Formats: sequence, structure tokens, C-alpha cells
Amino acid sequence: MVREGNLENPKDDDDEEGLNLRNIKLSGQMGAKQENGDPENILPPLEQELSHELDTKVKKYLRGEGANLEVLKDKKLKGQLSVREDLYGISAKAAAKAEKWLMPSEGGYLEAEGIEKTWRIKQDAISREVGISSAKNQYDIVLPDFGPYTLDFTPSGRYMAAAGRKGHLAVVDMKNMSLIKELQVRETVRDVVFLHNELFFAAAQKKYPYIYNRDGVEIHCLKEHGVVTRLQFLKNHFLLVSINKNGQLRYQDVTMGEMIGNLRTGLGRTDVMQTNPFNGVVALGHSRGIVSMWKPTSAVPLVKMLCHPGPITAMAFHPNGHLMATSGKEKKIKIWDLRKFEVLQTLPGHAKTLDFSQKGLLAAGTGSFVHVLGDFSGSRNYSRYMGHSIVKGYQIGKVAFRPYEDVLGIGHSMGWSSILIPGAGEPNFDTWLANPFETTKQRREKEIHSLLDKLPPETIMLDPSKIGTLKSAKKKDKPTKKEMEAEMEAAVLAAKGTAIKKKTKGKNKPSKIAVKKKEKVERAKRPFLDQQMKEEENVAKKKQKIGEEISLPTALQRFARKKATA
Amino acid sequence: MVEKKRKSRDGRPPKFNKKSKFSNRFNKKSGTRTDEKRRTGPRLPQSLRKELDRFNPNDQHSSEEEEEEGVNNDVYEYEEGVPEEESKKNRRFDTVENYEYELPEDFKDENVDSDDDDDHDFDGGENKIAGRNGKKGGLDQLGDDVEDEDEDVERHLRMLQGITGMPSQAFEGPKKNKVVVSEGYPESEYNPTRDILDGDGRVAIEDLLESLQGKPGYRELRNITRHVDKKGKLLQAPLAKEDRDRLERKAAYEQSKKDITKWEPLVKRNREAPTIIFDKDTDLGFSTVGAIASEFEPRTEFEKKMSSLVHDDKVMAAHKEDGSRLLELNKVSLEDYINNQNHIAKMRGLLFRHEVKMKRVKKIKSKTYHRLLKKDRLKGSVGMPMDAEEAKELAMKQEFKRAEERMTLRHKNQSKWAQRIVKRGLDVQDEGTRAAMAEQLHQHALLTRKMNSMKDSSSSDDSSDEEHSENAGGSDQDEASMLLAKARVKTQQALEEDDEVPDSGVLALPFMKRALKKKKEAADEEGRLAIQEFELSLKQTEDTDGAENSKKGAVSGRRVFGASKMQVVEPKSKIRSSSISSDSEAELEAEEDIDVGFSRTDDMQKNINVSSVLLDVDANIPQDSVLKISEIVRERGPKTTYEVSMLQSDTWKKQMSSSANEVDTNGKRSRKVAEPVTHNQDIELEEVGEDSDSDSEGQMVDGILSLGNKSSYKLPSQAELIREAFAGDDVQEEFSKDKEEIMNEENPEPEKPVQLPGWGQWTRVQKKKGLPSRVLEEHKNAERKREEALRKRKDAHLKNVIISEKLDKKAEKLLTGTLPYPFTSKEVFEQSFRMPIGPEFNPATAVRALNRPEVVKKQGLIIKPINYEDVDPHERGEENRGRGQKQGQKQRINRSRGRVKAVVAKS
Repeated sequence: MVREGNLENPKDDDDEEGLNLRNIKLSGQMGAKQENGDPENILPPLEQELSHELDTKVKKYLRGEGANLEVLKDKKLKGQLSVREDLYGISAKAAAKAEKWLMPSEGGYLEAEGIEKTWRIKQDAISREVGISSAKNQYDIVLPDFGPYTLDFTPSGRYMAAAGRKGHLAVVDMKNMSLIKELQVRETVRDVVFLHNELFFAAAQKKYPYIYNRDGVEIHCLKEHGVVTRLQFLKNHFLLVSINKNGQLRYQDVTMGEMIGNLRTGLGRTDVMQTNPFNGVVALGHSRGIVSMWKPTSAVPLVKMLCHPGPITAMAFHPNGHLMATSGKEKKIKIWDLRKFEVLQTLPGHAKTLDFSQKGLLAAGTGSFVHVLGDFSGSRNYSRYMGHSIVKGYQIGKVAFRPYEDVLGIGHSMGWSSILIPGAGEPNFDTWLANPFETTKQRREKEIHSLLDKLPPETIMLDPSKIGTLKSAKKKDKPTKKEMEAEMEAAVLAAKGTAIKKKTKGKNKPSKIAVKKKEKVERAKRPFLDQQMKEEENVAKKKQKIGEEISLPTALQRFARKKATA
Repeated sequence: MVEKKRKSRDGRPPKFNKKSKFSNRFNKKSGTRTDEKRRTGPRLPQSLRKELDRFNPNDQHSSEEEEEEGVNNDVYEYEEGVPEEESKKNRRFDTVENYEYELPEDFKDENVDSDDDDDHDFDGGENKIAGRNGKKGGLDQLGDDVEDEDEDVERHLRMLQGITGMPSQAFEGPKKNKVVVSEGYPESEYNPTRDILDGDGRVAIEDLLESLQGKPGYRELRNITRHVDKKGKLLQAPLAKEDRDRLERKAAYEQSKKDITKWEPLVKRNREAPTIIFDKDTDLGFSTVGAIASEFEPRTEFEKKMSSLVHDDKVMAAHKEDGSRLLELNKVSLEDYINNQNHIAKMRGLLFRHEVKMKRVKKIKSKTYHRLLKKDRLKGSVGMPMDAEEAKELAMKQEFKRAEERMTLRHKNQSKWAQRIVKRGLDVQDEGTRAAMAEQLHQHALLTRKMNSMKDSSSSDDSSDEEHSENAGGSDQDEASMLLAKARVKTQQALEEDDEVPDSGVLALPFMKRALKKKKEAADEEGRLAIQEFELSLKQTEDTDGAENSKKGAVSGRRVFGASKMQVVEPKSKIRSSSISSDSEAELEAEEDIDVGFSRTDDMQKNINVSSVLLDVDANIPQDSVLKISEIVRERGPKTTYEVSMLQSDTWKKQMSSSANEVDTNGKRSRKVAEPVTHNQDIELEEVGEDSDSDSEGQMVDGILSLGNKSSYKLPSQAELIREAFAGDDVQEEFSKDKEEIMNEENPEPEKPVQLPGWGQWTRVQKKKGLPSRVLEEHKNAERKREEALRKRKDAHLKNVIISEKLDKKAEKLLTGTLPYPFTSKEVFEQSFRMPIGPEFNPATAVRALNRPEVVKKQGLIIKPINYEDVDPHERGEENRGRGQKQGQKQRINRSRGRVKAVVAKS
């Protein structure tokens, strides 16, 4: 089905050159220059710079500041921790030094000179300046019959799944531009998503979501999910997440097939769903302008925030998990800080679809126009970086950055397009994490590893760095007084209700029975009364403590009687 | 006499004791009125009083203390010196100057008054002056005073004559006496001269010495006192024992603290080290018997002897060269060989016979017999000399028993049985019961007696030692004589004690005894010679000593007597001895010196103490290094006992095992060698965006898109449009409502306290009391609490955000319940695991160091105790790890790697 375009001829794969646009400086004359500083000429300042760079890198690998060991009184622990900190320092330094070799390439970017604006630079201008292998990433695939299309990339960026609304499913190898499999399911397909690797993908079809393998064989029909509008896959937890038209959020473990969570959002139908790649929290955008964040193990949303006064049309998360972009029907794009739950920036404009690239560029698609926002100052200040308009009348349905590439895929009503956005993708890939050049063996190996490293669903939480830390000594869910009383009454009733055995030898006398009943009731009441007393005591103690603390001026406090309880 | 005049003036009866007299005197100064109040006592007619007064002095004479005073009063009428002296002497009154000064005035008053009442005022004034003069130099006026006194006396006599009508002679006796006393006392320590009395009145050593002048030993004493005077030092009284002990402990503690503190840096280093690596010694200890043997060091004499023989140069050389020379060295004479064979044969025979005997005994089925036999054996073993450990054990047992007795007093007639008997009366009881009681009491006495008293002989030794030390302390005496006496006693003891003949086993056999006897005789001969020598030398020393010698002689004599007495006791014990030994003993007695005989049977008398005595002897004798002979004797003693025990099968085994143990422990010790680690907002965007949406076609049709456009855009449906249009109306309101709901759910609002209608009200007239304050307060508290909780919520300041605070029970298990042990701070704990340590997150060079176990050690390596080395307590980190037993760093790893390589290269 894939028709023409520069897609068809997978030419030479010069892998060494990489698939990235590196360091393209688009000057006034539009001359691409490779940045090659000669280090010999300017050694001393370079060294200085290097050391400074190293420091920043080391800081990154140290993963935060060490604790203040001066607080510790235990000298042994102090000594051990300080030695440990030294080791961390050594490790971080080694890592920072290795980074030079392990991450050789830097991300490319567009640079305007004079009155030039980066967003005025057109795709054909870029294509003229880049190499052949990069230029081939600029293409349009026109598939007018089955649109609009939605896209999904594998984590490595090598494969892409495309789903036409009218039932066209296709898996494409993006490296050599070859179609792996395409199939026609002959019913509405609302979303498509890859599972843990390219071998499986799930499609949200008219009635149910289905899981297909690479060969297009339907493997599962997930009837429980119902009419699903959006699908997401949490690759660390092996969870397939779906939101159906009834506003039910379902989590299904794709390894064992177990349904992990079935949560009723109670906020109506929605087709805006995104996962936060940082913590696995799934966010839903609702028609009342509310964004709700969920985890499989709690029935209530972790966070509910009113982001827009109107319905939310699109949403995206920054890979580092700290930023969220939402767009509302009131034609505003907002960028949120998820650590404070505050708006960082409100941008005008409407977006039907949003996506963050690996490097933090934000693509917003609306109508037949895509604009890309960039944050180059580092101050989380998104400004216009690039723009691209497709043929007028083509309605963009989905924008998705291709991982490890400076490529933006656009799914629209007439097929899909691919454009170059310099500086979008991460130039250095970690083969342990995602390998675009993965061989079958490696894939298999990785599959096993990832299965072994599968995270339990409980680990999904707003701040996963809290795992292992100390439980906050917060209120235990104490039953209220009323509840306690009710419980006690119930217990008393139960005690009264028990049948009394008939006994002989004068033990069945009414007086004896009465005594026994009384005893029973008392026995039933006892634990409650005990608990009550204990609480009262605690309250009294607290009061006393507070009273003492207040009553004595600081100068006299040292004369206060010391508490016996340590 | 003294009190008379006051009485006449006051018209009150006198007091006869001294105190009242003095108080009266004091009052006189202030006035007589106050005087009146205090005077109490029987009112007597004047004449009678006078009489009484007259006799008072006599009364006073009765008490020795007052005698002097009385006398002086009589003799030196106008002198104040007497009371002064008195006050000094017995120090019953304050020595305030004023009083002393005024005292004489009273005194004289009284004296004068006693004669005539008319002129007492006059006399008082005179006396004052006289008193003052007298104070300066009372002795000069002595003559006048005496005259006055005489006059007085005469007058007094006359008066008495007039009243009584008796001749003057009747009253003269006491007067004469007094005069004699005052004048005639010779100056001595009992009658101090006036100078002495006027001084501070203390008796000095010199005063005492003077009386000794000319007597023997005076010079010495004077020298000593002079020496003391020169030094002029007073010996302080020793501190209390508790204080001394405390000080001692304190000092000891300081010392030990210092000792231990030096280890501190080392220990600190090891404690703080992330890893302790034991790789210093890859030597896995002794691998061969030869290696163990090479470590062997001879300890006992026997071992030393053996090693000297084995490591003899000749033997070694012979061993190295060829075997023939070894043979030569190994020559044994035929005689020796035959002797040896005979000896062995004899021993075997003896053993065999013994075995046969034992078999026979074993066959005897009588239980009683065996019981008795066992008892005998136990007793025998008690009597037998034991090795040190056994003796110690026994002593411990005994001590425990004694302590137990002291605690419980079990044998002090406190049992029910004993109490009943006592109750009934001892006389009622038959003899057996009484004996049993007595036995119990005896037992108690034995058990509660002090430890030292158990070792009779040793205690006697101690006492002699004490004597010796006392003598030495008393004067410069010749220690040599003491030593010699002691040595003699010791030798004698040794002679007596070492010759114990076992009453069983091989040595109990007649021929063995004979052999022993011969040996003993020789030894005794030597011993006796030694004693003679001692006595000779003792005599010499005694001659030189002089006076004290007699005492010494007595001491030594007593000793001898004690020994002979023991000999007397001997026959009794013999009766008890077993039949086997009795035959031979008879023989022995015939042949041998009595001493020897005694010493032989001595073992019967002995109880447990024997061993201790023996040990004492062993320990003591070498102290007097003069005595060679005693050493010989001592050597022989243990030997015989050793042989005996060798032949007694049981004990022999025991000893073998114990000695084996010893060897083992030695071996272990040597092996162990214990050593052990904003944004200027781009509004352009909006503009452009809007522009692009609406009008800019040319821009739109840019790019590579060259395809014809088929618009598939559908207009949104009516419903959608309506929904969109009215969507944002009340979103905010709804949300805030929602938030409130959720907040109420998570922090429920406390219920308002309500009263049942009519509750607490009788009529409308009665004033409404309202709710009880307790309920109101509770409600208030609950509300406050809720507000606080709401304030603490994360979303408290975020109007448009609801952050759920519900606890996720499933996620709870991923958190730590309590702070793990060494951590005390939550922050430190949480920071401590911020870094992943796995190989996925760390460079390969660092992973190993991050994951190294606490202790790294090769299998089979013996971890030696910590070795002291100087560690700079202020050095930190790498340097520490690089040294010694510990590390954990790359440097060290490299080093160890290098070492391993080197080893590989060698092998």
C-alpha cells in the first residue's frame, strides 16, 4: 500500500555517519559547516573548559548531593559513609571521563544569523544542506483512502507502526525504509501502539483492542477493555493501558495477561492519554479541562488539576518527567512544572496533538501546520523554533518524534509525512537501553532482560525516587469515634445474639443466664473500651506536654522535670 | 577553808564540788546579785557550814587530781598559779586570759574571808595586787606567803581550840602534812618544777630520757631521738584502706587507659574501612609434621635434656655423615643392657602380680567389701600427693564447702533435728546423739575456720617468718642466725616429709622399700650433716649477738621439740596403716633412725594439706639458696611420688593424659602464634499561527509536498460545537467543589455536637445549660486538627490542583518502616542509597570497589589478631587503606594484583 516517495529505495546505510543531523549551522548563506575546532591552538583555556565541563558531568553522575555527614554522631557510620562517598566520586569521575568516548556526538541545531529566523527555514533548505542519508528522512506518504493516520515508534526509533482510521495497519522499518507488514482489519482503528519490542503491537479497533504480531497475526483480542479510544504501553512495567469510551482506565499486564487495574475515571469520555516516561503515571485529559493522573493501584487519581477552562485537546510529557504540555480548546498551550504543579508558560495557539522530543523540543500540530517549540536558553522558556505546513486541507492527527533521530513523524488525514527537525533526537544511543541496530539475538537477549527487570505495578508513583525511603510517620487511618461506637454496638449485638446452651444442675437458672449474658456483653465491649482509654491517655499526655512546653519560659526550662520515657 | 568566807557573806550554803566553786567565782566579778539566783542547795547553819568548810580540803584530797591543788592552796595562799595550773592540767575550762587573770582575786577573798568576815573587802584589794605580783614571779614572795600562812594557821588553831576545847595537837596533823607535801617533793616527772608548769606543760621526750641517763641503751635511745629531732618529720597516719585502694585503682585505670588508647587509631581505621582484606599471609600454616616439629621449643627440663642430646653436635655430624658413627655413639654396655632388661622384667612381673591381685579383688562379690575398698581408695587418693591442678581443684572444693558453711551455718545445730534435740535437753539424750551433735559442731568449726588455719605447717612457717621480721624490726639483729635456724627447720621438715612410702603398688613391696630405704639413708645422712652445720653456724652467730640469743635458741628448740612430738604421735597412725605396709615398717623401724621412721608413716597423718605442704617446701627452699642439700631432698621427693603415681594404673593414665595435654597445649600455643582490619513571549507565534491558519497559502504549500490536495476535513458536528461552546462555563467552580469534596473525604469534618431535644432540661423555666464543655472542647480540637491537616496538604496553596493523600497500601511495602540500625538521620539514610551501585550504572573500574564485601579473605587463611602499628590518627582515606590489612581502593587492588602476578611468575 505504501506508495511512492523516497521511501522505496533503501539506499546505502552509512551507519557511521549516523542518522543524526549533527552540528548543522545554517548561516546566512545557508552554508553548512562542520564544527571542527583545532584544540592545539587554544590549549590552556580549552583545558580549563574541559575541567569545568568535567565537573558538570561529574555532578550529573553523582546524582545529587551527598548527605551532610556532620550530623552523624556515629563515627563508624560516618567513616563508612565518607568512604562510600569517595567511591561514588571516583565512579562519577570515571563515568564523566568515559562519556567523552561513549557519547561522542553532539546534538545538532539550527542557528540563525542576523535577521534570519530559524522558523523561516524551510525543509527544502535543510535538505540541501544535509547528507543523503538524512535527506531521505524527508518524505510524505500519501494514503488517501484510510486516513487519518496515527503513528507509534519503538523505543529505539527503528520501527514505526502506522494505523489508518479505516483499518489500515502497517509496520515499517525506518532504517531501510522497508515495509515489514501491512494489514487491513476492515474496521475502525483508533490507536496503535508497540508493545515491548517491534514483534508485537496493539491496535484499538472498533470494539476491542487486539494484539498482533509482526506477521500480522492476531494474537489476542482484549475484550475486557471494551471500546478503547487510546492505548499506551508502559515498557518497564509491561502494562498495556487503555481508556475506553466509558472513561474506564484499564491496566493489563501483557506478560501474564492479568488485569492489574480497572479504574473508573468518572470524568467522561476522552481520547487524550499520555504516560509520563519518568514514573509511568498515566495522565488523562478530560473535557472539563481537567488532567488526571493515575496509577494502577489506586482508585482515585493521584493528581487532578484544572489546566484549561475548556476541553483538553492534547497533552505531552517531557522525557525527564518534569514538564508537561497541555493544550485546550480555548487555544492555549500551557507548559507545566510537574514538581510544583504550576504553569511555567502559557503559549497561545491551538494544538490537536503535542509531542516532546528526546532533547526537549515540543511539536504541536494543528490543522495542516506543525510548529516546533524549543527551549535553548535552558530556562524552560519555550519559544518558536521551527515550523512546517503540509498541504492545506490535510488535517494533522498525530505528531511523533522519532527517537534517536532528528525526525518528526506527522500522521495526517492523507497519510504520513516525515520532516527533519535538527536537534530533536538524542545523538548517542545506549545499546543497553535502546539499540536502533539491534540484531535478532540482541533483541531476544534484551527481551529476557527486560522481562527479568520488569517492575511491579506498585512502583508507579508520582515520585519513584521515594522507593526505599522511610515511611512518613503520618496519621494511621484511625477510625472515627462514631465508627468505633458503631463497631462496638455491632459487637455487643453479636454477643447478645449468640444462643445460650441449655445446662443442667441449676446452671440454667434465669439469674445465671442473665449474669452470663452480661459477661458476654462486657467481654465484647472490652477491647473497644481499652482502645478508647489508651487514646484518651495519649491525648492527655500530649496535652500535658504541650502545657509544659508553653508554661515554662526558656530560661526556666532546664529546671523542668525530665521525662522518664526515653 | 576556801569557800568559808563566801558563805558567811552570802549566807548561803556552799557547794562542795569544784564546778560550783568556779562558777561562783565568775559571778563575783559581775556582781553578787546574779550570784544569788544560782545558789542552790541545802541551807545549813553557819557554824556547821564552817566546820564543813574546814574539812573540805580534806575531802578534796581524797581525789588524786585535786590533791596537788589543795596542797598548793594551802601553801601558797596568795597565789593564782594554782587554778591556772589546774586549768592547764585537766583542761576542763576555757583558758581565756581574763578569767585566769581574775581568778586569783576570788581565791584570796575566800581564803581571807574564812578567817574574819569584817576585813574581807580590804583583803580582797590587797590580794588583787598580790595576785598580780604573784603572777610575775610567785616564787620570790614565797617566804612572805609562808609566814602569812603560818599566822593564819595559828589563829585558826586557836579558834578551834576555843570552840572545841581540844588541844591544838589534834588539829596539827593535817597541817604538818601539808607543809611537808608542799616543800618536800623532789623534782621529778611526777612533780614538775614551776618552770615546766609555767611553760606549755607538755612532757617532752627529753624529759623522759633524763631519768634514764646512765642506764644501758640510753645512748642509743638518745641517738634515735636526736635523729628524729633533726629530721623533724612527723609521720603521717596512713590513709584509710578504702582510700588507698581507690587511689591504686585510679592509677591502675589511668595506666590501662593509656595502654588501650594507643590502639584507638588502629581500631578506628578498621572500623571505618569499607573492606578489610586479609591477604598478607598466604601461608596456610603448618603443612607437615616436620614443620610442626621445627617449631618445637623445649620447655621442661626433660625436654631440654632431650633436645641437648638430640642437637648434640657430634650426633648431628654423625647423622649427616653416615650411620656407622651413629652406632658407635649409641653404644650400650652389656651390663647396662642386662640391668635394664632385668629391671623391665621385674617391673613387668610386679605389674603382673598386681594385676592378678586386682583380678582377685575384683572377683570378690561382697558389696560391702568393695564399698570399703572404694572408701579406702578415696582416702588414699586424698593422702596421695597430687599434681598441681588436682590439688587446686580440691582446694577450691574445700573453700567452696567452707563458704557454703559460712553462708548456711548448716552444722550449727540449726536443723530441725538438732533443734528438737536441744529443745528436749541434751542431758536427756543418749550418748550417741550427743556425739552426733558434737560431731556436727566440730564439723561447723572445721568448716568455718579460716583458710590459713588449714595449712598447719605452712602457718607455723609463717609465724616463724613473722617472728623473724618482728625481731629484725625491733633492733638490729643478725638475720643470718634467723636464716640458718629457718634453714635447719626446713631441712628437718624435708627430711621428715619427703619420705612417703605408698602403701600400695610396686613401691609398697618389701624389696622396693628396701631400695628406697637405702636411698633415704644416704639422703638423711646428708641432711643431718647439714643440720649440724647449721647449728654450728647458728651458735657462732648467737655468740656474736649477745643477749637476744637466748630467745632464738628457744625458738629453735621449740621447733625441735615439735618434731619429736610428732614422732611420738607416730605409732598411733601406724596402727591405722594397712596391713601390707605394716610388715615392712616394723623392719624399717628396727633399722632406721627414728626420724626416718616417723617421716615414713607421716603420710598416714596427712590429709589434703600434705600436698600443699609439699608445695610449700618446694617453693620455700630455693629461697634460702644456701641450702644445696635441701634442694637435693626436694628433688628426690617429687621423684618418688612420680614413680608411685606411674605405677598406680589410674593415676598414671591421668598423668599421662595431663602431660599429653600439656604437650598439646604447648604445641598449640606455638602453632597459634595468635595474630590475628519566561519568556518574552513570542506573541509572534500566535500571530504566525493564526496567520498560517487563515491566510498564508503560499507558505503552506511549501516543502516537498507536491501532491494534489484532497481535502478530507469534515466540519465538526453540531453537538461537538455546542459542547465546545459551553464547556468552560463553570469548570472552575466545579473543580473547586470537587476539591472540597475530596478534602472532606480525606480529612472529614468533625460532626457538630448536638443535644437531644429536651435533654438536660426540666422545664422551660430552667436555664439552658447547653452542651457540656468537654464535648465542645473536643469538637474544637477536632476542627483545629482538621484545619492543620488541610494546611499541611501539598495542594493547600494550589487552587487548581488536587493531590491525593490517600495511602496506597500496596506501595507501602516499597518503603522502609523504620530507620535501619546505624542510621540516626533520615536524610543521611535516604542520601546513602541515591547512587546505584550496579554494573549498568557505573564504569567497570568502579563497580568492583562499590560492591566489594566487608571482609575479603582467602579460603583457609588464618586471621591473626590485630598487630600494633603506628597509625597517624589524623590521616584519612587512601593512605589508610593502602596500608596494613585493609583497603578497598583501586590502588590497593592493583597492588594486590601485582603481587599475585609475582607469585605466579615464581611458581
